[in-house]
Amino acid sequence: MKAFLAGGLAAASLGAGIAFADTSEAEWAPTTFELDNGMDVVVLPDNRAPVVTHMVWYKVGAVDEDPGKSGIAHLFEHVMFKETDDIGPEEFTTIVQRNGGQLNAFTSWDYTAYYERVAKTQLERMMELEAERMTDLIINDDPEGPFISERDVVKEERRQRIDNNPGVILQEQVMTALYRDHPYNITVIGKMEEVGALTPQDGLDFYNKWYTPSETILIVAGDITPEDVRTLAERTYGQIESANTEPPQRGWQDVQPLAETQLITHSDPKVRQPEWERWYLSTSFTQDREFAYALNVALDVLGGGRTSRLYQALVEDQKIANDASAGAWLSLHDTAPTVLSASPSDGVTLEALEEAYMAVVNDVLANGFTDEEVERSRNSLAASAIYQRDSQAGMANLYGRTLAVGGTVEDVMNYPDDIRRVTADDAIAALRRVLGEDKNYIEAHLLPEEEQAAEESQTDE
Amino acid sequence: MNKLKLAAGSAMAAALFAAAPLALAQEQATIEASTGIDVTVHEGDFATIQQFTTPGGISVWLVEEQSIPIMALRMAWETGSATDPEGMEGLTDAVTYLMNEGAGEMDSLAFATRMEELNMGFSCGADSETTYCSANMLTDNANEAMEMIALALNEPRFDQEPFQRFQREELIGIRTRETNAGFLAGRARAQALMPDHPFSRIKTADSINALTTEMVAQRKDAIMAGDRLYVTAVGAMTPEELAPLLDEALAGLPATSDVEGIEDVALNDPLTAPVVVDLPQPQSLVTFTAPAMARDDDDFFPAYVLNYTFGGGGFESRLMKDLRVEKGLTYGIYTGLSTSDHLNLWTGGGQTKNESAADFIAGITAQMESIVAEGITEQELSDAKAYLTGSYPLSFDSNAKIASGLMSARLEDLGVDYFDRRNAMVEAVTLEDVNRIAAEYLQPSNFTFIVVGAPEGIEETADLPMPLLGQIDVDEAGDMEESNIDEASDAVRDPNR
Repeated sequence: MKAFLAGGLAAASLGAGIAFADTSEAEWAPTTFELDNGMDVVVLPDNRAPVVTHMVWYKVGAVDEDPGKSGIAHLFEHVMFKETDDIGPEEFTTIVQRNGGQLNAFTSWDYTAYYERVAKTQLERMMELEAERMTDLIINDDPEGPFISERDVVKEERRQRIDNNPGVILQEQVMTALYRDHPYNITVIGKMEEVGALTPQDGLDFYNKWYTPSETILIVAGDITPEDVRTLAERTYGQIESANTEPPQRGWQDVQPLAETQLITHSDPKVRQPEWERWYLSTSFTQDREFAYALNVALDVLGGGRTSRLYQALVEDQKIANDASAGAWLSLHDTAPTVLSASPSDGVTLEALEEAYMAVVNDVLANGFTDEEVERSRNSLAASAIYQRDSQAGMANLYGRTLAVGGTVEDVMNYPDDIRRVTADDAIAALRRVLGEDKNYIEAHLLPEEEQAAEESQTDE
Repeated sequence: MNKLKLAAGSAMAAALFAAAPLALAQEQATIEASTGIDVTVHEGDFATIQQFTTPGGISVWLVEEQSIPIMALRMAWETGSATDPEGMEGLTDAVTYLMNEGAGEMDSLAFATRMEELNMGFSCGADSETTYCSANMLTDNANEAMEMIALALNEPRFDQEPFQRFQREELIGIRTRETNAGFLAGRARAQALMPDHPFSRIKTADSINALTTEMVAQRKDAIMAGDRLYVTAVGAMTPEELAPLLDEALAGLPATSDVEGIEDVALNDPLTAPVVVDLPQPQSLVTFTAPAMARDDDDFFPAYVLNYTFGGGGFESRLMKDLRVEKGLTYGIYTGLSTSDHLNLWTGGGQTKNESAADFIAGITAQMESIVAEGITEQELSDAKAYLTGSYPLSFDSNAKIASGLMSARLEDLGVDYFDRRNAMVEAVTLEDVNRIAAEYLQPSNFTFIVVGAPEGIEETADLPMPLLGQIDVDEAGDMEESNIDEASDAVRDPNR
């Protein structure tokens, strides 16, 4: 349990696949309201099966950690499953599963979310449980106790997600270089030594500062009316008093432009296939929605799959690459990275691969896109919103993460129309803003162990 | 015609070609709609399933779901990669790779471009016993989308360009798998337990290089035959609308296949000590595998319920409570029953830092000994039943999940009323059954342990009986349990549940 979204530990979170709700069915719409204590509520109707997805999003994430306390947002999310005034040690999960519920939670740089999926008759019980741990969590301070053993669990989680995987180790190094003075420079799960030093008091401080109803969003998707959700939410969450203090200041901040271009290499005996990447700072949906949509389309045309410019040129025509793609983590709150990546065919050096890759990019930057390829891309991005409707949990997640970083229900609803307005000129202008000649970047090489020494003797970077 | 005009120059001819059979399909739809199709409707607790046979002889299970204008279509053939000819391992994978890489007048790029224009998805894959194709489409242009599928299934090109790309990708995969812990564990397990069975055969550079597109074309006809085909669909579509589209795509396939059957696996005796496979990484992956019962065995449901308490129930399982919550030795440990026509296994796995590998194995073994000696409690049994029955409706909340669920029921021959009977079968499990199963199946000596990493402190290890040759798919530790705890959505994901 207790996953965390490490801002794209997996390449799958690159931007091209992002999907939003469909507006083609005029009658379908979310309902929103606010409880007296400041909790925002969104209800997403889906009457196909008698089940609901219940999510509580907290407006806190790894960006909000104090110096030296990396990993507390995520470790604390684990601790939320431990014990409350009314729920015995380790019983939270027992109660949910005994009621036929599936549950989990995840932490990102920008937010933390908890969810249960249950038969709709169990919804109120789930609300009671989440309301209970919003206010009455018990953090055990026994130095041999569950808080301490949970640190060990998180250290195993870090080994499993990051330290076992050379490509993820390299990504961690790149993010540190790309976001020098910004909290995205530390991976969500935290630094091993800092996680190992977190204390129950750190957990308590974090809880008291951030876990309050005014800093939450409730999403209920499924077979239930907005009126019933309001009744149940007022009976449970509505009983929690909001803290009378001003909401704490989020850790979000401007991302400084890269001062210089830099090469980072990582070699490991487990690497059997090299990888070439360039990381640029770009934008995000929150920072500049219009720019981000145009970039979304541009990167899809440039490197979003089999029909993309890069795949056709490097994999199909020149056969110089085994894979080639481009994408961006545009759903981050602050300025997000755009990532160019490719993996060479046997016998091709990363230098030759880079030259061929950038030739495609430079051709696009100089000559632009065709209207046809842009239209195809924006249509498929817009249509993905219809498919998104098939997953109740996916819909809940989409609205939750949009609202948690300051977006609105309308932003989600308007996505298909907004993306369809992107022109070829918009797309190329966005790409030029990110990949222009004057932009610095982090270049990353993932290498088999024996190849690093050879590369170091050949390059001055 | 707007969309056809959008096709790039090279695709123009192809797009026009595609338009001709489309008119035919619409004509047939009219005819069938007027003559009607004999539909048997099963009003189930979780879905209303319409069973019918198309005029072309295709047997279909359909759930009509009008609330979203999409359709999920699943096709499966009961032939998989285990019957690839000796020395041509990878042949079935080549077929499935190439199924959306060009058909009729459309080459790979033209085909992919047209699929994008239609906002549809179509792809195929295979496991050792079954080959699958699945498609997702907007019902607004389902006729055009189904026309693409018809073209792919009936006139696949198997061009050299995408075929050679397949070979290049496979050769890289054959190299990179050597540092993939899950692969290494599966290969070692197959070598230990069933070295001579086809399930243990593995793709090699030689077998990939031996393939030709002619072999691929022949193999496609052998796999995708009418007598081994199952179809399920969920979406905004009626039987009358769907039947002619399916006939266009599937009725022209070869009627029968002469691919030979597979023998049941006769498992070797379990190894008496763990096998260690070296891999330089900070954690060790520990997997453990024992024989299990068939899906249609009376003991299956008691075992399924027991598995929840043993290692399948996430935080409610004994293994998780002890090795994660109590001891902090792992991020996750899971077990699951894996059943198929020829092989039934009880498997489990988890990862721990190399320094604690011996403690981890000792902890797992201790939990097995305890559950064998004392069984589980009434409370544990009732908790397991409550979860397994209470969460079952969550398996029916999307078109994609329902289409796949129907396909499982068809492939495993569970019956159209299985979904309605299933919770009662869970409820009928008794404590006596469960504890008898525990004592019989969960003896530590039944299990073969494989450790991949740089484990420390394991005093006695076993060697594999023969050099490493074979592989069957072993799931990553995180995927081992039955899928019903995991939400099949990448939006709310956790590889460990």
